[in-house]
Amino acid sequence: MIRLEKRHGPPPLGGLPATGAALVLALVLGAAAFAALGADPLAAYAAMIRGALGYPGAFTEVLLKAAPLTLTGLAVALCCSLQVWNIGAEGQFVFGAVGAGLVGLRLWPEAGPWALIPACLLAGALLGGLWAGLAALLKTRCGVNEILSTLLLNYVAVIFMEHLYFGPWRDPAGFGFPGTAELPAASFLPVWPGTRLHLGLGLALACAALLLFLLRRTGFGYRARIIGHSPSAARYAGFRVERITVLALCLSGALAGLAGACEVLGMQHRLQDGLASGYGFDGIIVAFLARLHPLAVVPAAVFLGAAEVGGDQLQTALGLPGAVVAVIEAALLFGLLLGEWISGRRVVLGGADGGGRGQ
Amino acid sequence: MPHDTPLLACRGLTKRFGSFTANDAVDLDLHAGRVHALLGENGAGKSTLMGMLAGSRRPDSGTILLRGRPVRLDSPARSLRLGIGMVHQRFMLVGPLSVAENLSLALGRLLGPGEVRDLGERFGIPVEPERRIDDLSMGERQRVEILKLLARDAGVLILDEPTSVLAPEEILELYALLRRLAADGRAVVFVSHKLEEIGLAADEVSILRRGRVVARNLGPASELDPAELARLMMGGESGTPPARLRRAAGETVFSARGLGGSDAQGLPAFSGVDIEARQGEIVAVTAVAGNGLEALAQALGGVRPPVSGRIVFLGRDMDARRWPPERERVAFVPEDRHGQATVPDLTLRENFLLTTPGGRSLFPDFAGADRLVRRAIEEFRIAASGPGALARELSGGNLQKFILARELHKEAPLLVVEQPTQGLDVSAVAEVRAALARAADDAAVILLTGDPEEALALASRVMVLYRGRPAGWVDSGAPGALDVLGRLMSGLEAA
Repeated sequence: MIRLEKRHGPPPLGGLPATGAALVLALVLGAAAFAALGADPLAAYAAMIRGALGYPGAFTEVLLKAAPLTLTGLAVALCCSLQVWNIGAEGQFVFGAVGAGLVGLRLWPEAGPWALIPACLLAGALLGGLWAGLAALLKTRCGVNEILSTLLLNYVAVIFMEHLYFGPWRDPAGFGFPGTAELPAASFLPVWPGTRLHLGLGLALACAALLLFLLRRTGFGYRARIIGHSPSAARYAGFRVERITVLALCLSGALAGLAGACEVLGMQHRLQDGLASGYGFDGIIVAFLARLHPLAVVPAAVFLGAAEVGGDQLQTALGLPGAVVAVIEAALLFGLLLGEWISGRRVVLGGADGGGRGQ
Repeated sequence: MPHDTPLLACRGLTKRFGSFTANDAVDLDLHAGRVHALLGENGAGKSTLMGMLAGSRRPDSGTILLRGRPVRLDSPARSLRLGIGMVHQRFMLVGPLSVAENLSLALGRLLGPGEVRDLGERFGIPVEPERRIDDLSMGERQRVEILKLLARDAGVLILDEPTSVLAPEEILELYALLRRLAADGRAVVFVSHKLEEIGLAADEVSILRRGRVVARNLGPASELDPAELARLMMGGESGTPPARLRRAAGETVFSARGLGGSDAQGLPAFSGVDIEARQGEIVAVTAVAGNGLEALAQALGGVRPPVSGRIVFLGRDMDARRWPPERERVAFVPEDRHGQATVPDLTLRENFLLTTPGGRSLFPDFAGADRLVRRAIEEFRIAASGPGALARELSGGNLQKFILARELHKEAPLLVVEQPTQGLDVSAVAEVRAALARAADDAAVILLTGDPEEALALASRVMVLYRGRPAGWVDSGAPGALDVLGRLMSGLEAA
């Protein structure tokens, strides 16, 4: 008899086999999806790879997506280390964009780049953090589950931003196009010459390193780790569990907010339709693909970015519907969960129970 | 079926968890028509044994016999199909649903209110089908649980600490019901701590101690001496503790008046506790489980502060609700070694910092913790590979020595210790007790233990907690102290 039994203790090799199995499973599930759509899976994957790497400038497009994905992935990973689930990176991303817009369009449009860029980024991080802080207070004060509150606050955030660019912040010279006016040029993030790559990527990489330091070396990270493993031990040690939880959610929101601000300052230069394009939700996939390790978040974000850029190629090259990218992403997440489940177990041969030996 | 064949029996039932043997070759006979009480301290293996009979745990070896025939109970559903039903300490009911809906769930078919009422009358358990479980008292919920089993034709009823959630008058009703159910030809077995009521409730008694049956089918229960039962339950431990140190106690470190506190659910657990501890002295508090000892330990240890009373600590008078004033000055070794005192999945390095000042700073001193862990490993002879070892890799005794080393490192004037030797093997028990005796040279020690022998062996004075209130103090040098403790603990005597 062969059966799976729950494993105690960490999975072998730091869970790498699990991640590998997840990727293979995702590819298989994706192939099934392609086949169901009538496309040759191999041709489809080839088209995706071509789309992501096959021409000059393709990879910069991948990196352009990887930057916000890294930040939202870090946001999710930070909370997960306390066993707190931030499903609201999308809404915090939106409020980050609103924060950048608020400073760039309303509060300080006349400032020079050295003042305006940091001010916009800070405002974005601050608003993103406050938006997450709302869910944190609901959790610690009223016992509202943060999964629910962060998820629902996403929709509120998007509607709030829509209200701004359809209403009070609408571009008067925009011919009725839904969006704000362009932010002042002084707010634009510096760009790598000859590409669209902007400072956001550098910020994302720095944040990954900073988060690693924060979680591994500082008292905050230490206490967060204890809370994540055993709230009872944290209370025994006298840690202020509620305060640390609130702080972690706010920091997490600030990371997502920073992603939103970078997206506005580096790419879109205004608040408009399509700004909230799912980077926050994709951050969940990135974080789990990276098994919550801050540095692993970077390659995971690049991988997912490549899947998205390559997926766009499927529409033009093979005429597949655009939603197929979402299907591939879903396959990835399912594959990952399955891999996680398997790595938490070990294969047992033979029956190990002696309950019926007397028979 | 010959008359003397037990309805349910087990032979040589053994269950191990890692290196710990929870049940060691247990034999037990449960006869139809009789109510059987199973006694034992916390951790004696009662729940494990009940779990194996109910099919929720699988034995490592041994046989379970139903009407003399071996059976394999590999799931609770299978046990129930064979007529063995269990009422857990935490009820398995759906709170927002009605009585009728819960019974329907259990039986797998929809029951109307009339059917439910008939069912209740048939077994002499009147119920109101439309009432929500959440609106019922604990006693009423318990009756619904029992009815669930009866409706499925359970011939063997197992109840895990059924009286722990009940009010006194509900307890008497439960006992009457159990007797009636047994009289109808069922075998009833229940786990209990309440020695003084055993004669009222049970026909016969078996006692477990440290996983072994030390007394089997004693009876008739009404003629048993509760003090003798208490002695059998607690036993004379083989690991001889160090002789109690008689020394001149120093100044009063800790003095509490009228302490009251609650359990993890926020329900009142103890009240009116006065306790004083002097430097150079161990004072002990002992009680049978469920009498408020755990809550008192968490309160004194500063995890769940008292809700009332006053405390004078190092000459400073304060409201007990503000306890502890500074965590560095109170060391606490809680009963829960895996999960409260340490985090099993983290390293010894990280676990050492849990209560040391190096762990409270902006940047925890991991290198310093490494040095401290290495020193602790050496001084306390802890079997561990080093600071990088995970707490879960240590055996119970080694982990307890690690926790003691950490708490003693604080050099706090007050040390609170809860159930320090529970589940440890003989040599670890001796080492831990010796370390506690040494600690009392410099600090005031309050020892909270369910083991009265341990209390007498280590402490100079012992307080007994009964139903959350102090039942009396015993000087451990007094003649017959153990007997007095046993009687106080079972509520037989007020000092």
